Parts: sequence; C-alpha cells; structure tokens
Amino acid sequence: MNKSIQQQLNILDYGLHSLWQKKGRNFCVFLIFSGVIFLLASFQFMSASLTRTAELLLVTVPDITVQQLSAGRQVPLSAKSLGKLDTVFGISSIRPRIWGYYFDESNGANYTVIGSSAPATDDLLDSLLIAGSYPQAGEQGAVVLGSAVLDNLGLGDRKSFSLFRPDLTQVALHRVGVFQQSINLLTADLMLMSLEDARDLFAMGHDEFTDLLVQVANPTEIPTIASKIADAIPGSRVVTAEQIRKTYEAVFSFRSGFGAACLLASLAAFVILAFDKGLGFSREDQQEVGILKMLGWQTGDIMRLRFYESLATAACAFGLGISLAWAHILFFDGGLFRSVFLGWSVLRPTFDIVPYIQGRDILLLFAFSALPYLAATIIPAWRASIVRADSVV
Amino acid sequence: MTIKIPQIELSEVHKFYNQGQDNEVHALKEINLQVAEGEIVCLRGPSGSGKTTLLCLMGCVFGPSSGRAAVGGQQLQRMPDEYLTRYRRETIGFIFQHFNILPELSVEQNIVLPLLPLGISPKERQQRAEPLMERFGIEHRKLFKASQISGGELQRVAIARALINNPPIILADEPTAHLDSSRSNELMDHLVTLRRDGKTIVLTSHDPLVTEHPEVTRVIDIQDGRISCGGSICS
Repeated sequence: MNKSIQQQLNILDYGLHSLWQKKGRNFCVFLIFSGVIFLLASFQFMSASLTRTAELLLVTVPDITVQQLSAGRQVPLSAKSLGKLDTVFGISSIRPRIWGYYFDESNGANYTVIGSSAPATDDLLDSLLIAGSYPQAGEQGAVVLGSAVLDNLGLGDRKSFSLFRPDLTQVALHRVGVFQQSINLLTADLMLMSLEDARDLFAMGHDEFTDLLVQVANPTEIPTIASKIADAIPGSRVVTAEQIRKTYEAVFSFRSGFGAACLLASLAAFVILAFDKGLGFSREDQQEVGILKMLGWQTGDIMRLRFYESLATAACAFGLGISLAWAHILFFDGGLFRSVFLGWSVLRPTFDIVPYIQGRDILLLFAFSALPYLAATIIPAWRASIVRADSVV
Repeated sequence: MTIKIPQIELSEVHKFYNQGQDNEVHALKEINLQVAEGEIVCLRGPSGSGKTTLLCLMGCVFGPSSGRAAVGGQQLQRMPDEYLTRYRRETIGFIFQHFNILPELSVEQNIVLPLLPLGISPKERQQRAEPLMERFGIEHRKLFKASQISGGELQRVAIARALINNPPIILADEPTAHLDSSRSNELMDHLVTLRRDGKTIVLTSHDPLVTEHPEVTRVIDIQDGRISCGGSICS
C-alpha cells in the first residue's frame, strides 16, 4: 500500500482508538449532536414524506376543480355554469360536487362534508374503502365516513346517525362505508354522501353546487383547458391537480423550513459548544500532543488526527441522528412533530406516513450540521497541534 | 590516541527563548561540544543550567539561535521545523524523565507510536516491535495498558519505543531521577548494551550512579548555559 495512504490510515486508527479511550468525555458532545441532527432530519423527512404521501393520494383528485367566486368569497355555482363548459373541447367528464364544513357542537369538531353525484365504480376508488361501498345513485342518506369521524361520533357498530340542518331540523343518515386508514391525510375528517343529501344538509338550492370536477382526456392539455374554463365562466377559480400538489408541498416545506429555522439556533449553540470544548483541551491532551510531537509527529499529523476524530464523531452522530429520524418517521409516524405539520386540524388525522428520503435531503442535512461542526473544530485542532514538542521534556 | 568521528558537533551555539521580547531568556551561551559515535556522554548541572535545552537542541527539537549545529552530519541551523521533525524521527530516540508513556494505550501501541506517521503497516510495526519487547522482557505484557504495568516495565517500554526506529543517537533526560538504585542500575545496563550495539548516547543527570558509571565516557558540566568542563572529544 502507498505510504501516504498507510500514514493516513495509521493516524485515523490512532484517532479512533483515542476517541474510544476518551469516550466518557466525548459522549456528551456526541449525544447532543445526534439529538440536533435527529430533530433537523425529522423535520426534513417529515416534510418530504408528507409531500410524498399527499402526492400518492392526489391521484384521486380530478384534473381540474372549478369554483365560483364573488367579491373574493366562494359562492355556489348554478346549473347554468355547467352548460357554459359544453363549448370547451377536450373535457372527458364533468361532475358537480358540494362540499363544506359541518361543525359538530357536541364534540367541538369540524367535519368535511362532500356530496358527489358520481357513482364510484372504478377499482381505484373502491380500493380507498376499508369496508362497505360508495353511496349509489338514488340511495338516500348513505354516507362513507373517515376513520376520525367514525371515532368522534362514537358510532361503534351502529350504522344510523343524524346531523342538523341550519334550521336545526335533523337529517337521517346511515353509514355504508369507511375510508382506509392509509389515506387519512385526506379523509380522516371526511363525510362522503350523495349530492342531494349534501344539498339537503347545507340547505342549498336544488340546482346549486359548490364546485365542478373536470377530467381532461389529454393530460398535457390541462393548463390550456383550465384557461379556457376560466374564460368561459367569469369570476371562476380554476385549480389544477398540479397546483394542489404544489400547495401541499409549499405548506409542508414552509412548516419544515420554519421548524428548521428554529432548530438552527440549537445547531449554532452546539457548534459554539464544540468550538469551546475544542479550545479548552486538557492538560492530558496537551501532554499527549507534546509526546507525539517529540516522537516525530508533525503539526500536520496532529491536525489530521484531530480532524479525523471530529469527522468520526460527526459521522457517527450524523448516522445515529439520521437513523433515529428515519425510525421516528417509519415506526412512529413522526409523532413528535405531527402537530407542527398537521396541527391546524380539529380532528388530528391519524394516518400512516409513507416514509420517503432523497439523497439530496441527506446531503443538505450533512451540509447544515456535520460541516459546521467540522469547521468549528478546525481552530481548536490547530491550537492543539501547535503545542511545542519540548513541553514534555 | 584514536580520533573518533563526531556524531554531534556544536560550534559557538547560542539559544534564546522569546528572542527580542521582554521575557527573553539566553538559555545556551557559546556552546562548543562534540560527541563521538559510540560514546555515552552525561550532561550535568543544576536545575535551570540549560541541560534540557542542550539535549533538545541535540535532539533536533529546535535549531540554534546562532552558531553551527550538526547532528549525524546534518546541519540544523536554518532547517525548517518540518525537516527537523522528519530528521528527528529517523535519527533520534528519546527516553523522557517520566518516560511519558501514554497510559491508555497498550504496551505495544506505545512502542510503535513513532512509526505511525511514517506510514508503516500494522504488520511491519508488529515485526519491529516484537524483537524489542522480547529483548526487554515485556512481550508477555504487550496487550496490557501502560497504566497496568510496573515502573520497571514502563522504563523498558520507554527504551523499546526509543529504539523502534533504530536511531543512531539515543537521548535521555534525567532517566534515573525517579527510580530506585536497582532500577537505575538496570537502566544503565540497558544503555551500556545499546552503546555496545553502536548507539551514541547522551543523557542529562546529576545522579552519581550515572555520572560515576564506568561506561560513561564523559561528564560535561553546564553552568548558566555555558559548558564549564568536558566539551571536546578526548579519545
């Protein structure tokens, strides 16, 4: 083996041995560093995993959603608007939908109610149900519930329940299905019913609905068709599936970024601690360096030794922090930070996050944690290495 | 009379610490000294007289502030620190006053420490260390931590470490200062054996057991940074 490579290996070996010998002293730094990396990585992985989960679930979202705005507020669309889209070519189907929030006073929770006229017959939608079926056309009072709604209403095995109209009269409903736990991000607080039942619950006019769900034959034409729809229905808000995906990504990235910004303060504090610890090297350390230099170690060798020690500490702490963060997402669904990311909801969705890590996330975390630590230990390493050889004589 | 080749040659050497500053110390003054190959030379003098500085100078720890210094035929003045260190590890073996053995390392690891920056492989390090450990009777302790062995064994570890590079010159700073007479005798016996192997040995001491040892070829007295007696090779 090349002498200079062997020299580096020898110094690395000595450094690792030395670290192990001083494990009591280094453990504290290692533990704090692992903790900081765990927190940063958890935020990053949680953001990436939630975005990925949302992406996987958004395959069920229509290509284009159309809503009507008036003075900046959403107002119902009428059947007339539906007719205006007849002139837009490229649309394969249009479904009217009603959605809104129902406030359950006794539980203090908001449910999302969606009324859809479409009979759900395709396999993809069926696979989203854990049990039962979708409301069939003309089936009055049939509802599919999200798991959090089911728990919150305390239905147990009962199928029938009722909700209040705005005039406080009751609407009788019965459960025909329950959504999968895995898509809880979107369905935890959801009540899916027929268009007529939703219209009845919200006391809307017989030809009114809140939005139109548009499917496009050629996906590359979605932006063009969205633009044509906006022209055809003045004052409409036209949202594509891509825009929804980007909104989720932006929301999770913003929350992750906010969390990371807070954690950077703790990282900075740790780097200062590492710097300070390195500067205050003990008499034993000084003695060791003096002996090594007297025995023919160069200043550069000592600096490399200290660098390898820092690198080993950083690499082990980084590995441990990343592994813990990964386990946190994989086995505990990011329990520590769920409320930071999803805390706006009254019904906190309990769903399985799809763990998702990209190489660039790891690199980013390394650049923001291990590199500052290594940089912080350079000056102390240099100060340690300039101990005079004759200090031990 | 036989004229021997000088292994160490110092001529008009001065050494200052903190030169040009308020706390300047003139540690060595007009040193003229020759040490021939195969000699055992003892530097004797009171504390603060400059013995250790002179030993460090001969050990290539630093160069002279002025004058000429040659060790093993190599001129030290104007030699950059990096080259001094490189030259030191090839030419000099050190035995320190407290032996300066790292307590957390094993006996074998301590002995091979000077070989690590030379890029010597673990196998070769072992091959070099084993005969030395055998020679000094510490091979059964090779995996013991230095903190777990006796003072006499520590002393032999220190000698083995000084010899691991097979240097022609061995320097020892007060090697018997903290040893009882039997250990001191044992150490001197080892040094005498090394001398017979052709090593040049310079040590600092004011222990009569060393200064009056029959195998010590010269005793050089140092007072206030000057050699007062015994600087040149006689025979």
